[in-house]
Amino acid sequence: MSLDTLDQTLPLALAGGLLLTAGVVLLRRRWLQKRSGGLAFLIGGWLAVISGFYVFARAWGAEMGTTYALGAVSTAAYALIGSTYERRVSKQRGPRESAFDPEDRPTNWRRGIAKSLLAIVLSGIAAIGVGVALAIYLPLPPADRAVIGGLLVPILWGGGMAWTLCDPRLVRATIILLSVSALGYGIAFLPKVL
Amino acid sequence: MQDTTPQKARKKPFLPPQFVRAMLAGHSALGIAFAALIYIVCLSGTVVVFLHELQRWEQPNAPVVEQPLSPEAVATALKNAYQKALAANAVHDMFLMGPGPIQKRFLVSFHDHETGGEGNWIADQTGTLVAENKAPWSEFLGDLHMHLHLPRTWGMFLVGLTGVALLSSLVSGLLSHPRLFKDAFYLRWGGSRRLQEADLHNRLGVWGLPFHVVVSTTGALLGLSTLIVGVLALAAYDGDSEKAFATILGPHASEDETAAPLPDIAAMIRQIQAKTPDAEFVSANLSHVAHAGQIIHLGMRTPGHLAMSNTYYFDGNAKPLGDGGLETGSIGKQILGALQPLHFGWFGGFLVKVAYGILGLALTIVTHTGITIWLSRRRDAGRPAPHWEKVWSGVTWSQPFAFATTALAVFTVGEAYAIPTYIVTLVACIAGALFASEARIAGRLIRLLTGTAILAAVGLHASKWSGSMTDEVALVIAATFAATGVAFVVSALRPHFARAAASA
Repeated sequence: MSLDTLDQTLPLALAGGLLLTAGVVLLRRRWLQKRSGGLAFLIGGWLAVISGFYVFARAWGAEMGTTYALGAVSTAAYALIGSTYERRVSKQRGPRESAFDPEDRPTNWRRGIAKSLLAIVLSGIAAIGVGVALAIYLPLPPADRAVIGGLLVPILWGGGMAWTLCDPRLVRATIILLSVSALGYGIAFLPKVL
Repeated sequence: MQDTTPQKARKKPFLPPQFVRAMLAGHSALGIAFAALIYIVCLSGTVVVFLHELQRWEQPNAPVVEQPLSPEAVATALKNAYQKALAANAVHDMFLMGPGPIQKRFLVSFHDHETGGEGNWIADQTGTLVAENKAPWSEFLGDLHMHLHLPRTWGMFLVGLTGVALLSSLVSGLLSHPRLFKDAFYLRWGGSRRLQEADLHNRLGVWGLPFHVVVSTTGALLGLSTLIVGVLALAAYDGDSEKAFATILGPHASEDETAAPLPDIAAMIRQIQAKTPDAEFVSANLSHVAHAGQIIHLGMRTPGHLAMSNTYYFDGNAKPLGDGGLETGSIGKQILGALQPLHFGWFGGFLVKVAYGILGLALTIVTHTGITIWLSRRRDAGRPAPHWEKVWSGVTWSQPFAFATTALAVFTVGEAYAIPTYIVTLVACIAGALFASEARIAGRLIRLLTGTAILAAVGLHASKWSGSMTDEVALVIAATFAATGVAFVVSALRPHFARAAASA
């Protein structure tokens, strides 16, 4: 990066960083007000965050600037939360502190193994089937559809895993995952079979 | 995510309580099943973000290259490496990596998978090979993160599956957190252990979500790529995985083994720079080098892109065969180019690495607190699991301890002892924790040992390189390690100091 470029980038980066930090601070101000107003803080906060994204994009271009801004929002929020933590006396409990507990489900080893097979194996098989079908048939150039189809595999697999584990009905999950697998592999391998 | 919700009825809950409880049950089951793997992968990944800096610490007398390389320097390095490869009977594939925003060394390597011969060298600004590249501890950490030291294909698959489990946990965690906005800035310390950990878990999880999603998705894809491409090859490329990979990664060398001259890599670089004047050399991957079927993948970067470089393909006669479009090509190609940089934080420079270090540590803490919340919940419900508390304490603190003991092993008895040392440390920590009276006592003891081992490793390294350390980054790393070691010791001894002060 040349000195001239640095001269332009540095002030923009500082301004963007300040805007993103200010945005997070304003959103926290709104949050502190709870239900008693603070709409100006909410609007101002989001405007500052969006402006921060824009300024970062001006500084580094849309591709790098957006990535930097996402990281900056996270780190600014961590810093703000860390600096405003609340010290509590031991055993002191407020009304909001009683937490939801996970659903209490009857379980045994057979059910546990069946759930694991569904969530890990069958979800994976279904996700790969759909991803590969898309990698073959998406109306895009071969490299693009292969990458996008491939990228969808972990996303579909993760989503399938989450859904399977939260669904208490094993049969329903099995039928749906088997159907999706059949559909995915059917579409992917059909031309080879015919 | 753990939810901390009032039990009084609300008018229109954003997420129905039954749905939240079901999601939370799935989230807990998944977290418990994969916690140790996710934790190890996240912590090692956080350290591996700084892989290039660690390599410089391990070999602090090797040259650093600050300026972009000239085409002639790259050609000189290739020629020199070829001579070394001939001598080592390892002429098959060669790889050159130049300096850039993410690392400042000129690295050259070669290997022949048939003879098993290989070499790794560090070159200076002119392309002269000046030292063998030896950073076994850094390599150990990198391999731990990428394939857990299992056979590469299986290890990468398991790490990929861990990435899927992490991504799935993020989805279920988000959907089991109806107070996402209402608790957005809370961090309440003290009081109930479970709620303190839940606040930490949720705040670090939610505010770092873009990072967590990106690293888990990219990590899963990188780990599962062989499997996915394998199925793709079966469906569309007659089972030929190489052909399927070639669609994505560009042409590969043919099997024509007729002898041929070394490719004119300087001419290739100049060809690219004639079209794109601000392009800088990043890497060159030469397959079947000095044979008629050789193919060269030349990586050249231009500023303003996430991809480490765009890849330009050439045959052995410097004839261009197209490019990968990783910087400015179509969307899929740009995603492909951004996968590795986005996963490791290897774009933009050192500040980005620091941010990735913070966010990676946050994800590691999120994983750790997920299990401690589950254990606290059991304790609150009158069903404590003291053995699991001790095991989790052993797993958690064994990792930094094992990183330190492997460094000591590598520095004293050699790199061959790194993996045995890691395994022995892990097993000893878990077994030792089970014999402790309480989980926190076990954790404190392992932290004390970790701090001591880190300081010992820093001391050993300093005595080894005393007077010959030329790379100032190595000093920064050494100081950071020393501070980390002190922090571990203080965190272990602080309750002891507090008790002594109270009784005085």
